Amino acid sequence: MTDMSDPDLTPKQKRQLEKEHQQRLKYYSASQWTLIWWRFKRHRAAMLAAVLLGLMALAGIFAEFVAPYGPVTRDTKYIEGPPQIPKFCDDNGCSLRPFINGTKTERDPVTLRAISVPDPDTRYYISLFVKGESVKVLGFIPTDRHLIGLDDPDQKIHFWGTDDLGRDVFSRTIYATRTSLSIGVLGVLISFFLALAIGGAAGFFGGMTDNVIQRVTEVIRVVPIIPLYMGLAAAMPKEWSTTQVYFAMTLILGLFGWPTLARRIRSQLLSIRNEDYVVAARLAGARPRRIITQHMLPSFTSFIIVDLVISFPYMILSETALSFVGLGLRPPSVSWGVLLQQAQSVRAIEQTPWLFIPAVFVVVAVLAFTVIGDGLRDAADPYSEAK
Amino acid sequence: MLRFTLERLIGMAITMLLVSLMVFIIMEIPPGDYADRYAFRKYSGTGVNVTEADIQAIRVELGLDKPMIFRYFDWIGGIVLRGDFGQAFAFETSVVKVIGDKVWLTTGILFATLILTYLISIPIGIYAAVRRGSAVDYGLTIFSYLGLALPNFLLALVMLYFANRWFGADIGGLFSAEYRDAPWSLAKVWDMLKHLWLPAVVLAWSAVAYQIQTVRATMSDELNKLSVTAARARGVPERRLLIKYPARLAINPVVSTIGFDVNRIFSELPIVAVVLGLTDLGELLLKAYLDLDMNVAGAILLLLTFAIVFMNFLSDLLLAWLDPRIKLGA
Amino acid sequence: MSRMLTVENLSISFRTDEGVITPVQGVSFHVDQGRTLGLVGESGSGKSVSTKALMRLLPGTASLGADTRMHYTTKDGRVVEIETLANDGEPIRKLRGGEIGMIFQEPMASFSPVYTIGNQMMEAIQLHRPMGRREARSYAVEMLNKVGISNAEARVDQYPHELSGGMRQRAMIALTLSAGPALLIADEPTTALDVTIQAQVLDLMRDLQQELGMGMIFITHDLGVIAQIADDVAVMYLGTIVERGPAREVIRAPQHPYTQGLLAAIPSLDKLHDRLSPVPGDIPSPNARPTGCPFHTRCAQKIAGLCDARPPREIQTQPGRAVRCWLHDDEGRNAA
Repeated sequence: MTDMSDPDLTPKQKRQLEKEHQQRLKYYSASQWTLIWWRFKRHRAAMLAAVLLGLMALAGIFAEFVAPYGPVTRDTKYIEGPPQIPKFCDDNGCSLRPFINGTKTERDPVTLRAISVPDPDTRYYISLFVKGESVKVLGFIPTDRHLIGLDDPDQKIHFWGTDDLGRDVFSRTIYATRTSLSIGVLGVLISFFLALAIGGAAGFFGGMTDNVIQRVTEVIRVVPIIPLYMGLAAAMPKEWSTTQVYFAMTLILGLFGWPTLARRIRSQLLSIRNEDYVVAARLAGARPRRIITQHMLPSFTSFIIVDLVISFPYMILSETALSFVGLGLRPPSVSWGVLLQQAQSVRAIEQTPWLFIPAVFVVVAVLAFTVIGDGLRDAADPYSEAK
Repeated sequence: MLRFTLERLIGMAITMLLVSLMVFIIMEIPPGDYADRYAFRKYSGTGVNVTEADIQAIRVELGLDKPMIFRYFDWIGGIVLRGDFGQAFAFETSVVKVIGDKVWLTTGILFATLILTYLISIPIGIYAAVRRGSAVDYGLTIFSYLGLALPNFLLALVMLYFANRWFGADIGGLFSAEYRDAPWSLAKVWDMLKHLWLPAVVLAWSAVAYQIQTVRATMSDELNKLSVTAARARGVPERRLLIKYPARLAINPVVSTIGFDVNRIFSELPIVAVVLGLTDLGELLLKAYLDLDMNVAGAILLLLTFAIVFMNFLSDLLLAWLDPRIKLGA
Repeated sequence: MSRMLTVENLSISFRTDEGVITPVQGVSFHVDQGRTLGLVGESGSGKSVSTKALMRLLPGTASLGADTRMHYTTKDGRVVEIETLANDGEPIRKLRGGEIGMIFQEPMASFSPVYTIGNQMMEAIQLHRPMGRREARSYAVEMLNKVGISNAEARVDQYPHELSGGMRQRAMIALTLSAGPALLIADEPTTALDVTIQAQVLDLMRDLQQELGMGMIFITHDLGVIAQIADDVAVMYLGTIVERGPAREVIRAPQHPYTQGLLAAIPSLDKLHDRLSPVPGDIPSPNARPTGCPFHTRCAQKIAGLCDARPPREIQTQPGRAVRCWLHDDEGRNAA
């Protein structure tokens, strides 16, 4: 320890020491969550993942505004069209504002099918906050403005191309992001509450209750999960509305997502109960309420949060997989899995590779959740060093 | 050892009993029952007017009018006592005939995948732990993140695409066209082996990613153990030391998670089967679900789970044999 | 009595995330055949690291100082310059086990749990002695008998977890000695054992050393153990030797304030109702080494302006005894 009253120090050194002292003080007196946040901030990959995921969530929440067009709006003039990349220059010179060239319809000289070919002589400029379809953001804020689009309301831009019905892949992906992420959130929440109740009961009551719960958990864990989900999803009546199917899906995913977490909660409860510091608190005469809130909960909430975060990918991948094979959400709903259903064949890779763009979202979302989970796990470990 | 085995066997029986109950419930959930679907499928479009009484007659004939618990015992009794999984209405034959040799195809895919998984993940995981912090190690970390994040059906599509480009068109499925309906022969088995690698690679992908991490983590722990330093201090040559001491223990968690790997592979199987055009149980399961042919679906779900439980049992035995600290009979 | 090991100016540095730290600086000692050198110090004083350096068992992040010399004379009279050997390779492997044996603090952790005692003993025997499997096995049984393990014929096929703590350490001694080392390094071999077992194991080690004529380096933090087993002692503090000399004399009349503090801290039956008198303060971390004498931060007799500014040199106080302290360096103190 350096003594701050040391007379040999210059004022500058003293200030430096004072600052360090303050920092150290701040560190020692910080709460558990502040410490976790500080450590998490230093984890660069996790921060990046969090930002990406945040952007995705925002885009999903405000899908009506972010997406230039509706998820089922068709552009019959541009069917299975490739992505249109905004440009600043073409043969007719350059512009400060990005634009795309128009297209015109011609007949293929061989097959005589109508095809779209670029028309280099027309330009459509891209703007922010353009007028377009009337929508209700968040379901209740009416607007006809969209984040991005073409000045000319009669023309459409398809950043990521269109599918076989001429629907805008970019807009559909934005809407699908909302569906897929929200199914993940709801599924995780349902399984979290189930896990809390079941794992809590097993850990709290122990004995026979614990034995029975352990058996049941074991049974659910041993059945392959996607085939199990598929069985339940297959049972959904065909005449159900998209909303019914949506909630049924969250329920199915949530209903069998709990065993891992429940097991974790149970074993945490059992082991923390016998930790020296909990025993010490009990011996020191602390009331049960204080022991639970001050000693047991803090040490395990961080674990639970980490587990929740890393269980997202399974939900998202399960939903995607089920919808992909036609047992999950059904058109006209849009989710990442539903979108990818259109890209089931090698032919799609060859001819309309842009239909795979939603897969990038799946991969990024899953990666992001995993990286954030890892970052949180490190940050929540009280023994890892923080500065 | 005998007592240990017996205990595990009994545990396995209890688990399977509970699993069969759950599978039965899943079979019962879809609206309507076998009789409805059978009648609908048989007579729809034929102009015959099916009355509720006709359906009821089918029900009585098949014992479907009995309470659920009796139906469960009929079902499970048939399976255990006679190996009879009931009728597959969509195929108008017995479930056993429909499933038939697909069981062996699926077993083949499973073992090909497992062998591939362990052949890749164990040596690589050990190598990554020994060379911690090297470029290879970082590359593997990125790979294992991708292994978890890339949906298997997407991987299957991409693999299929490249396989088609490099090896010609006839790479999907499990057999070449000329063998697809041919009776079993050595040539057909050889043909299957030639097709097996693609589904094996796709299915092994995430298992490999996961197991490399497991092996790497355990190996890293083991490398820091005093027993390794002690053996080194006795003059044991480095390579032999790595294999005999840390690596030997690093495969224990792999052995103990064989069941999980089987579970993961079966979980992915139906979806990968769709993309790759495999004619195995996974594809049949999906088809049965879509047709609501619940006898077939239930039978497959039960078989897959049985395989997982059985592999769990095997892995327990193997682990007890590998690790003397596991008290036999306790 | 011939000299088997001479260590001069041993310095060890580690590369860490916080920069280079040097937990051992300029340590010199020697071991004679048939004699025991006790290395004493608190945890973090560099005792274990120094002996690991002798066996070249340090991790890749460690490096030896440029003027470090570690010369070992083998059983057949060759001199090996250990500091020149590679961490991994035939020459150092020849030394490990066969010439220099090592026993660690945790007997359970020093054995691999998945092989029998016999398997691990036979491995060591066959590496260092020209014996076949059967011969090696019977030699293993013989060694187990020698260290006082009853029913050795059956024990040889048991796993480490089937033995009690004391038995395991005996087995570890048997294992280490079965390779036939001339020098034995024992790194706190009794610390993890019950007190009654400790005494038995100490007796056993002393007897075996006499019988086999081995040299021994005995690492401990317990001066009481030193009194029982060591001929010479070197007291280490923060990576340097602060006092050395014949064990009896050092314990009877310690000269360095740190050694005095360590002795005063030993609980004794005479002073049953007094409070224990610990050495005040904590051992500083190696990346925040104090300037001057490393002990000055905890020393009651420190000379302000000297001890905290300049490191003391080693002063011979009596034949065979030396201390690194300004209090004993009149000449240097006056010069300063």
